[in-house]
Amino acid sequence: MAPKPVMSPIPMHLYPAVSALLLVVGLLVSAFFFIYEATTSTRNRSLAKELVTATIASGFLGFGSLFLLLATGVYV
Amino acid sequence: MGRRTRSAAAMAIVPLLLLSFFHLLQFVSSTQEIRVLSAEKRIDLTSPIARVFLTLKVENYGAPEVPEILIAFSPTESEHLAILKASTVEGKRKKKTYVPLSVSPVSSPDAPNGAQLYSVTLRSPLQSGETTTVEALYVLTHSLEPFPTEISQSEPQLVYYRDSATILSPYTIVEQTVYIKTPSSKVESYTKVEPTARSGSETRYGPYHDRLPYSFSPVIVHFENNNPFAVVEELVREIEISHWGNLQIRDHYRLKHAGARHKGVFSRTIAALGYFYWVYDTYAKHPCRLDYQFRQSLSASFKTLLAMLPPRVHSVYYRDDIGNISSSHLRINSQKSELEIEPRYPLFGGWKATFTIGYGLPLQDFLFESSDGRRYLNFSFGCPLIETVVDDLTVKVILPEGSRNPTAAVPFPVNQHLEMTYSYLDVVGRTTLVLQKRNVVPEHNYPFQVYYDFNPIFMLAEPLMLVSSVFLFFVAYIAYVHIDLSIRRPLKTNS
Repeated sequence: MAPKPVMSPIPMHLYPAVSALLLVVGLLVSAFFFIYEATTSTRNRSLAKELVTATIASGFLGFGSLFLLLATGVYV
Repeated sequence: MGRRTRSAAAMAIVPLLLLSFFHLLQFVSSTQEIRVLSAEKRIDLTSPIARVFLTLKVENYGAPEVPEILIAFSPTESEHLAILKASTVEGKRKKKTYVPLSVSPVSSPDAPNGAQLYSVTLRSPLQSGETTTVEALYVLTHSLEPFPTEISQSEPQLVYYRDSATILSPYTIVEQTVYIKTPSSKVESYTKVEPTARSGSETRYGPYHDRLPYSFSPVIVHFENNNPFAVVEELVREIEISHWGNLQIRDHYRLKHAGARHKGVFSRTIAALGYFYWVYDTYAKHPCRLDYQFRQSLSASFKTLLAMLPPRVHSVYYRDDIGNISSSHLRINSQKSELEIEPRYPLFGGWKATFTIGYGLPLQDFLFESSDGRRYLNFSFGCPLIETVVDDLTVKVILPEGSRNPTAAVPFPVNQHLEMTYSYLDVVGRTTLVLQKRNVVPEHNYPFQVYYDFNPIFMLAEPLMLVSSVFLFFVAYIAYVHIDLSIRRPLKTNS
C-alpha cells in the first residue's frame, strides 16, 4: 500500500487569500473595539463587551498574521 | 624393536600429529577448502574517486557448507574504503538479475600484515563441490596521490595510483587478471609485473596463475588525470520540517581542490586562453581527435560544480559570507533539478571555497504517515554535488515542535545523537536528530527515513502564541482605560 503523504491542513495556494481575509476581518473587529472605546463614556462601558470584542479581534489577527508569515515564505 | 611395534608406534603418532596440525591451522583450514577459480578486478580511475569492480568465481571443494566468502583489503585500502557492495548473479543471459548480499567487517587480528577482512553472506550456503560468482564493488577515496605535488597554472596534473598486481585474498586464486582504466592514454609510467600489457587507456596485469593466499605484488601507475578533484572537507545539511507544507534545506559547504597544489602566479587571461591553447594542442597537431579528450580541459582547475536537486524545488539561493553569488544556473525538469554553481574564482590545487546552498521542497514529496501512525521523512543521504567526496558529513533533521521519539533508519552505519534547535515561534525548542558519517561518496546517495510521533494538535501552538500576544495588547489597553490615574480629586456634586 502506498504510504500516505502528509499535507498541510489548508491547500498551500490558498495561504495569501486566507491571510488577507482573516487580517481584514480582524482589523474591522479591532476598529469596532477602538471606536467603542472612543465613543462611550467611562460610566456606560461594559467590560464584557470590551473583552469579547478584544478576544474576537485578537483571534482573527493572530491567525491572519500566522498565514501572512506562511504566505511570505517564513514556514514557522 | 620389531617392524610391528615400529609401525604401531607410527600409527599412534600420526593421528596425534594430524590432530595438532589441524588444531594449529584452525584459522587457515576453513579457507583451504575454498578456492577462487577465476578473479577479475577492474579499477576505474577516470574520476578522482577510484571504483573497483571485483568478480570472483569461488569453488568449495572440501568444506561441508560455506555460508560466507571473505574479501581482503590492505591496511591503506581499508582506511580509504568508503563503501563495499556485493551482489550475486542469478539467471542466465537475458534474465540476469543482481541480488544484493549483505557485507560486514570481520575482526581479523591473525591476518598477515594487518589485512582487513570483510565477509559477504551468501544467499544459500555453498555446498561442497559447488561454485558461485560474487561481484563486489568498492569505492576508495583519496587514493590518487598527485605527483608532482605542485604544478603551475597550465601544466597537466599527474597522479600516482598504488595497488597490487595480484588480488589480495585469503584464498588461493587459480587464474586472475587486473585491468586499470585511466582517463586518457597519457600514462607516464607503470610497474611491469609480467605479463603486463597496455592498450589505449587500459593497462592489464595478468593473467596470473595459482597464486597463494595473501600474495601481494605492489605496483604504481603514474598517469594524467585532469578531472576536477573536488573534495568537500565538511558538509553540514540542515533539513527543517514544517508541517505547514515546506521542507527547508540549508547546506553549508567547505570545498577544497585536493589535486596538485598550485604554485606560481594565477593569471585570469591564461586561464581563459587555456581553452585556445588546448584547441591548438588537440586539433592542429592531431586532426583526428574525436574521443573523450575532446571535453577535457588543459588544466586541472575547475570553474563549475553541478548539484542534483530533487524536482519541484523552489527558492534556491547560493551565498557565502560576503553575500549572494549570482553566477549560477538552475535547470528544472520533471525528474530532477540541476543547479550549476560557479564559485567566485576558479579553484586550483589547494584552494578552498566556503558557501551555502539553500532551497525549499514541497512537504508531500518527502513526509509520509506510516501504518502505525508514526510520521516519517524519506530523504536521500549524501551530498547533492556530483562526483565529490565528503570527508565529514553531518545531516541535521530538525523536527517540528512537539515531536517525540525520533528514530532513524539508515542503510549504512552512521553516528547519531539528539540536539535542540530554536527557530521561529518556538517555546520548548525543536528536537533535532543529528547523523554524522565520514568518507561519503556519491554511492551513498540512498534514501533514509526518520520516524517520529506527532500529535496534530501541537500545530495550534504557533497560532495560539500569536493570538495570545495580540490579546495581551488588547487587555493592556482595556486595563489602561479603566484605571483612573489622575491626581485630582473626583468632582463632588453639591448636595
